[in-house]
Amino acid sequence: MAQLRLEHVDKIYDNKVQAVFDFNLDVKDGELIVLVGPSGCGKSTTLRMIAGLEDISRGHLFLDGKDITQTPAKDRDMAMVFQNYALYGHMTVYENMAFSLTLRKEDPNVIHKKVLAAAEILDLTSQLNKKPSQLSGGQRQRVAMGRSIVRNPKVFLFDEPLSNLDAKLRGATRREILLLHKRLGATMLYVTHDQTEALTLADRIVCMSMGHVQQVGTPLELYDSPANLFVASFIGLPPMNFFDVTVKGDKLEGKDFQVPLTAEEQKTLSSYQGKEITLGVRPENIVEGGSLQIKVFSNENLGMNTLVHGHLGSARITAKLRGWKNYKEHDVVNVSFDRKHFFDKETTNAIGREQKQ
Amino acid sequence: MNQEELLIKKDRMRFIKNKLPANLALLAILFDVFYFVSIYQSDVRDYYYTIMIGASILYNLVFMLACFLSSEGIKNYKLGYAWLLAGLGIGQIVRIFVLPAQAHATELKKVGRVMADGQYTFVVVCLVVSAVCCLAAALIGGYRSVVLKQYQATLETKSA
Repeated sequence: MAQLRLEHVDKIYDNKVQAVFDFNLDVKDGELIVLVGPSGCGKSTTLRMIAGLEDISRGHLFLDGKDITQTPAKDRDMAMVFQNYALYGHMTVYENMAFSLTLRKEDPNVIHKKVLAAAEILDLTSQLNKKPSQLSGGQRQRVAMGRSIVRNPKVFLFDEPLSNLDAKLRGATRREILLLHKRLGATMLYVTHDQTEALTLADRIVCMSMGHVQQVGTPLELYDSPANLFVASFIGLPPMNFFDVTVKGDKLEGKDFQVPLTAEEQKTLSSYQGKEITLGVRPENIVEGGSLQIKVFSNENLGMNTLVHGHLGSARITAKLRGWKNYKEHDVVNVSFDRKHFFDKETTNAIGREQKQ
Repeated sequence: MNQEELLIKKDRMRFIKNKLPANLALLAILFDVFYFVSIYQSDVRDYYYTIMIGASILYNLVFMLACFLSSEGIKNYKLGYAWLLAGLGIGQIVRIFVLPAQAHATELKKVGRVMADGQYTFVVVCLVVSAVCCLAAALIGGYRSVVLKQYQATLETKSA
């Protein structure tokens, strides 16, 4: 059992720079939480505070109900996997994995059993006699994970573990981490700036920006119901299209285009009549056929889909259309939005929920 | 130690280095250094002993190189290096009777006894300890190498 709770956690450095503001999170036993956000948003700092590598300036950290805010890192029973693997180059894979247990003066036979079991899980049995320099990036990261597994910690902490790997290996290792989580059923916190990793791995995502938590929710919640403009722009690839529009009766008026509203959408925006809001539309929510006209300026075929870049009036827009398209520059494509997101212009918070056209 | 523990101990040998004999071999080098540092401080101004010391310098270089290579070899359970270590150990014992014993027994008119009692005892202890380290490294390393070889053969038979 490992439940983690962060209550009003702040991080203020000695130079008075505040990296994390009022961080609150309840991590359930066996949950995989992904902290996602751009560089400098405070996600790694949060993870390091949980690990005990950074002091918590204000607030409390609880593990299984016990306050561990002041507990030294070595006594927290957490294992951390770093981006740069942090393996000992002069030791073999076996020795690297056994190292932490050797330091604890555990029985060598017990260490041996644990290392072999971890190697089996991570498919490293044939690599145990090799040095890290003889391994690929993915294998090295698996060794780093193995070093954590043998300790059987209460919580696993991953700090951008896949950032050093190429795209193919990243995908494969990501799947391995997911399998590992299912197999061990351990509580895991995972930091990444890659939204694909966040969406595919997480039970819940914590989206951060500038040290503030923007939204906590399941991947689907963050994708489908972003809490604000930041989350909407950060989650999703290609990113969401945004347009400045004014609510006018049954439609939204852009600078040189109009978007019709459904009755339900009109109801949602009833208090915004005559006001300017931000309309968000995901590229995949743009479908062919409709009253809106995109003037194409480039066409990218991705196989199953085609990314069409163009202008809606004077605003830039990217549409992800199904199938193989061969639009040329200056072509006009008629489209409609099958799902829209509305954001308050001042607060940038989402207005109501997303609506189907 | 029960059967299972014994088996795990053998299995561990596949992944851990044979450190004890390797370190013993390094210790043998260290005591050899103590020995030659002591013996080369003598300036007896005698042609015979100068020749002997020259030869001793050459042998020391060979010994240290061979012992270091054996240390690395035995660390990886290579049986051949156990034999080399045994030879080096015996060589260290033989050396006692070549230079130190002769020097201790010889008196020259100009300098008196070539090697005084105190120095003689010291160099003999150094060589004996160095020899014991080499022989122990050979024994332990050789034994473990054989055990591992047999265990690996069992594994191969099982997998076949």
